[in-house]
Amino acid sequence: MATMQLVRTEGKVFVRDPVGLFFGLVFPALLVIALGFFFPGFDEPASELNGLRYVDVYSNVAIALGIATLGLVTLPPILGQYRQFGILRRLRTTPVSPARLLLAQLVVHAVVAVLSAILAVTAAVVLFDVTVPEQPLWFLVSFVLAVASVFAIGLLVGARVRSPNAGVGFGMGIYFPLLFMAGLWVPRSVMPDGLLTVSNLTPLGSGVQALEDSWFGTGPEAMHLVIMLVWAVAIGFLAVRLFRWE
Amino acid sequence: MPVIEVDQLVKTYGGTNVVDGISFAVDEGEIFGIVGPNGAGKTTTVESVEGLRRPDGGTIRVLGLDPQRDRYELTQRLGAQLQESRFQDRIRVREALELYASFYAEPADWRELIGRLGLEGKADAKYADLSGGQKQRLSVALALIGSPEIAILDELTTGLDPAARRSTWETIEEIRAGGVTVVLVTHFMEEAERLCDRIMVVNRGQVVALDTPAGLVAQIGSEQRLTFRPSEPLADSVLTSLPEVTDVQHKGQHLVVTGTGNVVHAVTSVLAGHGVIAEELRVDQRTLEDAYLELTNGDETEMEDR
Repeated sequence: MATMQLVRTEGKVFVRDPVGLFFGLVFPALLVIALGFFFPGFDEPASELNGLRYVDVYSNVAIALGIATLGLVTLPPILGQYRQFGILRRLRTTPVSPARLLLAQLVVHAVVAVLSAILAVTAAVVLFDVTVPEQPLWFLVSFVLAVASVFAIGLLVGARVRSPNAGVGFGMGIYFPLLFMAGLWVPRSVMPDGLLTVSNLTPLGSGVQALEDSWFGTGPEAMHLVIMLVWAVAIGFLAVRLFRWE
Repeated sequence: MPVIEVDQLVKTYGGTNVVDGISFAVDEGEIFGIVGPNGAGKTTTVESVEGLRRPDGGTIRVLGLDPQRDRYELTQRLGAQLQESRFQDRIRVREALELYASFYAEPADWRELIGRLGLEGKADAKYADLSGGQKQRLSVALALIGSPEIAILDELTTGLDPAARRSTWETIEEIRAGGVTVVLVTHFMEEAERLCDRIMVVNRGQVVALDTPAGLVAQIGSEQRLTFRPSEPLADSVLTSLPEVTDVQHKGQHLVVTGTGNVVHAVTSVLAGHGVIAEELRVDQRTLEDAYLELTNGDETEMEDR
C-alpha cells in the first residue's frame, strides 16, 4: 500500500521534470530518427558492421543511452537531493523505511527505461524497416541485465553524494566513458581489439553486444550476460552497504 | 503519568559528550519546552527520543517503548517535525499528505488537518510555491498525519515572520487541545513562555533547570527594577535605607532602583512622604529571557547544533 503510493508519487514528481523526461524517455528514439534521416548511408548494409546497417547497430546504442541517462544522470541527483533535504531522515521517523523510497525510485526509473526502449525500438522498426527483435526473450534478458548493472552504478553514486550537484558531477563522470564503451561514438565492430576487450568488460559494452546479438542474431554470448550480472550484483551490494541515510 | 522518560542520556561525538546525563519526564497532555544555546544538545536529545540516534548511555522510554528496539510501533504513535528538513519542490501538498497518510495504520483525515492549519486553499500547490510559514505548517501537518499521541517539533518557527509565528503558536495550542502531548524545541523565549507548561533549560549537554515558566523566573529571584525621574533632588540614603531596596543608581536625571519584595510600594510611599513625584516611572520585572540568560551564563556558542 505505502510502496504503491510511493511509486505513484515519485512517478508524478519525476514526470514533472521536463529535462529528465526528455533525455530519459524521448531522446533515444529521437537519436535513432535523427541519425536515420540525416546521415548518408545510415540505412545501407555496411561491411565494417558485418552486413548490418548503421541504423540497426545504433538502435541498440540508443537503448543503452536511455538506460545510462536514467541510471547515471537523473537517479544520482535525486538521491543526493533526498539526502540534502533530509527526506530520507524524515522517513526514518515514520513506519516506512527509507529503503522503500529508493525502491520506488528504482521502479520509476526502470519503468521509464522500458518505455524509452519501446519508443526507440518502435522508431527503428516503423521508420527504418529494422526487423523486430529475433530473440525477444534474450532481448528482454539482456535489457534487464543492462538496466540492473547501470542502475547499480547510479545507486552507488547516489548512496554517497550529499547534494544534487555532486550527484550530477559524479554521474556524468561515469556516463560519458560508459557511453563511449557502448559504441556511441565508435561502433563496437570497428573498435580495435584492445579497446573492444575493455568495452566488453563494461556494463554497456557487453549490454549493447547482448542486445544486438538478440535483436539480429541467435542470442547473446554467455560472457556478455555474466559481465553485466557481476556488475549488477557486486556494485549493487556495495551500494547497499555504503548507503548513507543521513 | 509520564509518556516520555529519559534517564541519564549520554551521546558522544568525537570524544565529547554532546549530551551528558540528561534526565527528564514529559507528562501526558502537556506542552514541554526544551530551550538552550546552539550546540547545547537539544536536537540530539529529541532525535534520540525519536529513535533517529542511538544513545551511548542512559535509557529512554516513550509510551513504554524503547525507541531503538520498538522502532516500528513508536513511529506509529509519535510524529516528528525535523529541523531543516524539506520536501521535493515538485510535490503537491495533497500528494505529500496522501503519501504520508499511507504510511500509518490510522491516519488522520488530511483535509480536516490542513483546514485546521490554514492550508485548505493550498492542497494543489507545489511545495516550492509555498511561503516559509506554509511549508512549516505542512511540516506540522505531516507530523500529525498518523494521529500520533506525541508530537515532537524541532525549531518550528525559526525563519518565520512574527505573524506566521503567532499563527503557528495557535496551531500548537490546538494540537494540545486535541489531546496530543507536544515537545517543543525552540530558542525563542517568548514562544516558550507563551506555550509551554514546563521548560527544560539545557546547556553544554546538561539540564540546568526544569520548571514552569514562572518557576524559572522565580529561581533567579523576584527582583524588580524601578526607573524614574524625581521631581525634586533626593538623597540616595532615603531609598537605600529601605529594607526592600538592594541598589540605587543614577542614569542622567533618572534613578534606577533595584529591590525585592514589595519594593514598588515601599519606594512610592517614601517618595510621597518627601513630597517627591516619580516622573516617567517604569517598573521592569525579570522575564524568562533574563532567567534563561542567567541560567546559561549567556552562552551562545557558535557550535553546530546537532
